[in-house]
Amino acid sequence: MTTRLRGKAAIVGVGTAGLGEAPGFNAMDIQALAVHEALEDAGLKLSDVDGLFTANMSHTFPAISTIEYLGLKPRWIDGTNTGGSSFVAHALSATMALEAGLCDVALICYGATLRSDAGRMTPAAEQPTYEIPHKPRYPMTAYAMAAATHMARFGTTRAQLAEVAVAARAWARMNPEAFERDPLTVDDVLSSRMVMEPLSLRDCCLLTDGAGAVVMTRADRARDLPKKPVYFLGGGIASYNRAVSEMPDLTTTAARDSGERAFAMAGLKPKDMNVLQLYDAFTINVILFLEDLGFCPKGEGGAFVSGGRIAPGGELPVNTNGGGLSFCHPGMYGVFTLIEATRQLRGTASERQIADAETALCHGNGITLSHQATAIFGTEATL
Amino acid sequence: MTAQLPASGPDLEFQTHVEDGRLWLQTCEDCDTAIFMPRIICPHCGSLRLAWHPASGLGTVYSRTVLYGRPKPGDTRPTRHALVLVDLDEGPRMMSRLPDTDPDDIAIGLRVKARVEGEAGAHVIVFDPAGEANA
Repeated sequence: MTTRLRGKAAIVGVGTAGLGEAPGFNAMDIQALAVHEALEDAGLKLSDVDGLFTANMSHTFPAISTIEYLGLKPRWIDGTNTGGSSFVAHALSATMALEAGLCDVALICYGATLRSDAGRMTPAAEQPTYEIPHKPRYPMTAYAMAAATHMARFGTTRAQLAEVAVAARAWARMNPEAFERDPLTVDDVLSSRMVMEPLSLRDCCLLTDGAGAVVMTRADRARDLPKKPVYFLGGGIASYNRAVSEMPDLTTTAARDSGERAFAMAGLKPKDMNVLQLYDAFTINVILFLEDLGFCPKGEGGAFVSGGRIAPGGELPVNTNGGGLSFCHPGMYGVFTLIEATRQLRGTASERQIADAETALCHGNGITLSHQATAIFGTEATL
Repeated sequence: MTAQLPASGPDLEFQTHVEDGRLWLQTCEDCDTAIFMPRIICPHCGSLRLAWHPASGLGTVYSRTVLYGRPKPGDTRPTRHALVLVDLDEGPRMMSRLPDTDPDDIAIGLRVKARVEGEAGAHVIVFDPAGEANA
């Protein structure tokens, strides 16, 4: 029974470093700073870490390079790389490894210097053979095609997509660590440079540097550590394709299944969620995930995000740090969903704090709508 | 006992078959499903009995996008590169292009016909509007 994992582990420390721009530093450098901050936050030391969960796009063996750089001697390693969703999936596998006694202190970490490395996503060695000759631009082509299909089938408009970017910016304006904090309107998004129809520049995530780290322990130990524990309540993953041309329906993602699994494990429903952190590589993502995770019916995501519903003051706060669209996006954003959820559930998100937040949903998306991971967290009151 | 390798791999088989200017697809002889991208095992039923057949080449544009590139030297307009996903009449979906069609004339739902482009060993399938009404 998967419910055996509910409430068994908690996030006890979070840290970030090199957000935005970190010229002169490499991915391992800023990752180490984020790890240091997360361990300090947890009241633990590097030598306490005996479980490592990591992925990146700059190293062939991210976990081994991380171990060497940090001087770790882990008993358990999970280097599963599913793209930007990896770290949300790691929260599930870390809980499993902790509960199984394979490790006692689990470190989930990531760092990248995408911006300082001249802004190009490092092309993976393995790309879809039968797509490459047609010169798509990954990952953007896949998301543009998903948006075009959603618009054709459900009448979703570019203005509705823009609402997602505008909401993200409004949140970012309350986050001093966000990369883009200038005011942004729907008209600004619509008139920004067309990049990949129907997506304009402001429909696309940032390309920044940045590192994030999360420390988890079993729930009993978490209670003895300095910070208010943020308990893992449920998680799920789903993946059915690598290439977008292999995706059965571009308007429905595997988030439908990862979400259902996470909610089942948590024994909760979408209406029970106080705050959402959804991987927003592109504006269409948020619309797809709100639908697939059950916050609105399929096809109604465009209308759902309109009128500021997911913006500050709206009824469903989404991406309260400003998201990949306005806060930070070093290529694999997933770890930042865990960090912001933790801050919200601790009640330490300052100006952007959601009052009385007891539950948070994190959703990670990997590659080109290829892998989906959902994790649900809660405060002590939800156990 | 180790698995028996077929005479040649699916990518090479594909290149050899489309040499005749037609689109070829694998069909699973156990579950009768047409498959693309070429594989050695049926992703629907796990069978190894995949046979190559020429396809109709006809399909429908399932989705489309247009990449706006930096203007070429001496030009102020961005270059535009249209990409499509085509649902083949036989079932599979593939990414492709319509090299001779203006991006603005490529709409979701457009009927298209495949053609083979490129050099021997590096053939790719591209499409033209099918013009079926006049056929």
